[in-house]
Amino acid sequence: MKIIKGIKIGGLQQKIFNLMLFFLIALIGAFLAISAYQQKNLTRTVQDANDRQQKSIEAVSEETMLAVLNSTMTQTTELQAYIADDLFSQVRSDVLTLQTFATELFTHSESFNDHPIEPPSAQNDGTPTAQLIHEQGVDPSQSQTLGLVAHMSEIMVAMYESTNTISSVYVATADGNMVLVNDRPGTFIGDDGAVLTLDIRHRPWYTQAVEAGELIFTGVEMDAYTSTPMLVCAAPVYDGGKLVAVVAADIYLTSINDYVAGKASEGSFVCVINGSGQMLFSPKQEGSFRVELAADAPDLRESKNQQLAAFVRSAMEANTGLRLVEVDGESYYMCGAPMKTVGWTAVSVVDREITRQPTTALLSNYDRINGEALSTFEDGAKNSVRTLVVLLSVICLLAIGAALLIASKVVRPIEHMTKRINALSGSDGVFEMEPIYRTKDEIEVLAESFATLSKRTRDYITQITQITAEKERISTELSLATKIQASMLPSIFPPYPDRPEFDLFASMDPAKEVGGDFYDFFLVDDDHLCVVIADVSGKGVPAALFMMASKIILQSCAMLGQQPAEILTKTNEAICSNNPESMFVTAWVGILEISTGKLTAANAGHEYPILKAPNGDFEVYKDRHGLVIGGMAGLRYRQYELTMEPGSKLFLYTDGVPEATDAKQQLFGLDRTVAALNEAKNETPRQTLKTVRRKVDEFVEDAEQFDDLTMLCLEYKGKE
Amino acid sequence: MLNINKTVENNTAAVSLEGRLDTVTAPELEKALMELIPDLTELKLDFTDLDYISSAGLRVLLAAQKAMNKQGSMTLTHVNEAVMEILEVTGFTDILTIR
Repeated sequence: MKIIKGIKIGGLQQKIFNLMLFFLIALIGAFLAISAYQQKNLTRTVQDANDRQQKSIEAVSEETMLAVLNSTMTQTTELQAYIADDLFSQVRSDVLTLQTFATELFTHSESFNDHPIEPPSAQNDGTPTAQLIHEQGVDPSQSQTLGLVAHMSEIMVAMYESTNTISSVYVATADGNMVLVNDRPGTFIGDDGAVLTLDIRHRPWYTQAVEAGELIFTGVEMDAYTSTPMLVCAAPVYDGGKLVAVVAADIYLTSINDYVAGKASEGSFVCVINGSGQMLFSPKQEGSFRVELAADAPDLRESKNQQLAAFVRSAMEANTGLRLVEVDGESYYMCGAPMKTVGWTAVSVVDREITRQPTTALLSNYDRINGEALSTFEDGAKNSVRTLVVLLSVICLLAIGAALLIASKVVRPIEHMTKRINALSGSDGVFEMEPIYRTKDEIEVLAESFATLSKRTRDYITQITQITAEKERISTELSLATKIQASMLPSIFPPYPDRPEFDLFASMDPAKEVGGDFYDFFLVDDDHLCVVIADVSGKGVPAALFMMASKIILQSCAMLGQQPAEILTKTNEAICSNNPESMFVTAWVGILEISTGKLTAANAGHEYPILKAPNGDFEVYKDRHGLVIGGMAGLRYRQYELTMEPGSKLFLYTDGVPEATDAKQQLFGLDRTVAALNEAKNETPRQTLKTVRRKVDEFVEDAEQFDDLTMLCLEYKGKE
Repeated sequence: MLNINKTVENNTAAVSLEGRLDTVTAPELEKALMELIPDLTELKLDFTDLDYISSAGLRVLLAAQKAMNKQGSMTLTHVNEAVMEILEVTGFTDILTIR
């Protein structure tokens, strides 16, 4: 936990804060995602509805348009066809009348004189006049029939005047002369003032009429003099089966042309196709609808555009009704109606785009309104997003503040607690409940537990202090006891520097502060040295106390000049008289007569002594044994005697020596003890004990020893 | 380490010891025996698996022998050589019944 600018990083406060922040961010994220999704959905729904409405508007609008178009166009086309046809039927009837009249003339030719006929004169311009026209190289005066047909002049003039659709009316004789009526005689006068001739019998109307043998309409052609588009209605006249003349009328097509031109508007027009499938009238200058007047002009019925070809074919037959035809990459609604008289067909054409214009206009209007609505909606959505963001920011800030507040509220008592606990140094401080911990939650429980623990700890510390003090006191007393016990044993070596007859060394190492082993030696009188080694059952203070009593009793008895057996017996009596704890002590007591080397000894359950003859090795001396002292009252001990030659050694020990134990629970044993002794058999008693001690230490190494280790070595030197 | 196995039947108890009877373990045996002894007329101690006995152990035997002397008998069985040597050295063979 690091602290940066007073904020604990990784602390509880930060953890709580982090947790809250995480949930908050997750919540906001989810909220934003849902909002975005809903908005997207809404926008899509609006757009979908818009699209559907547009399509529906389009469909309805186009249907309505088509219905209207169908009825009106069909009717008008029919009407137009009829009107145009009417023009031709009038002319046709006029030409038929002239044919009948001419036939009558020839039938009754004998009843008529020649009628005069003059060549054209420019003076007559503006007045319908009959004029003589002839072929080059033909002499009109030699004609047999010119005078006869000239009788038709008046009727032709009348016919010319009665209509404005006929631009010229004329009758041509089979010998190359012609009587022509119109109001433009000047057009037949050349620049040189001579009358222009006309190749009459090679004109298409003439040849076609003769070839057909009946009334014909020529194709549209240019007027020989005015170069105005026109067509000719012509009929042959026979007299007795012989061709005698051809009557004809020129129909100026300017009226139809003007009509067609006048009908043309943006996106719609009328056109006329002749019986050969060639475009006669059209306001269009290019494309498939352009006018083609040449004789070899393309037949639209054979057009590569199958739709158009089929349409034209059926329009020749009957009223087609409204059809959608693709021409030159554009869609057109077309309606055709045949013109019966001439075998042509009138076609009304409407650009499909035009029919769509109202729809488009409606749609664009609708789009605009819709767009406005949509942008209003989007603005609103953006506004609501902005509001949302602001709102969320405010919530975030509030939540962060709340998190910090709650975190600090939770953490403050803990921090306070930590501070207090850290301040508890030594044993005098106690953690106590304070109002800040009264949070009525786990913190309060924790603080209470801590207070209890702190109080208990303090009690423990007090207790331990007391116990320690007590222990120290006991320890002091024990170390004092150790000193007292040690001082009870003779510890000055050599003990009798003025007695060269013997040397003696002894040691006692208690396993605890005070031991149950002891050794003792004292001169009973000048010639008697008493040596004692003993081992009290058990260890520590009880053993030490028992040992002290035993030692004093033993010494007292010995000092009375008694024999070893008596000493043991007396001591046993004394101890058994008051021994509820069944304590006992093993003891070996020996009295050496210094002058002779005679050793009298008694053994109360103690280890065998180990003896060395002057020039021999140490050997265990299995002496007679009595029971331990304190074991049973009323025992009588026995003693034995042996003689120590000068140079003999006596080694006494407690069970701490042979029963020294190593880490593997192996005992040092008597054999090792004897071996150790023999290693130092020629040494002084002090050195001998040192060697044994060293051997024991090497054997046990670091294993803990539970028994006291006591040894005594006496060397008898005798009188020198 | 000392394992003490006790079986008590009427007034007869058979106690077998396993391990070392020394300063550390002797109090355990003392406690176990002192609980049994008041009701006994016969106490049999089996030393088959007893490896070692120290003076503290001897004290327990002595106390038990003294107690049983007043109300019945105490016998030791299967005492091995090492333990027997200690018993002999300390003169305990004189006061204990060893079979």
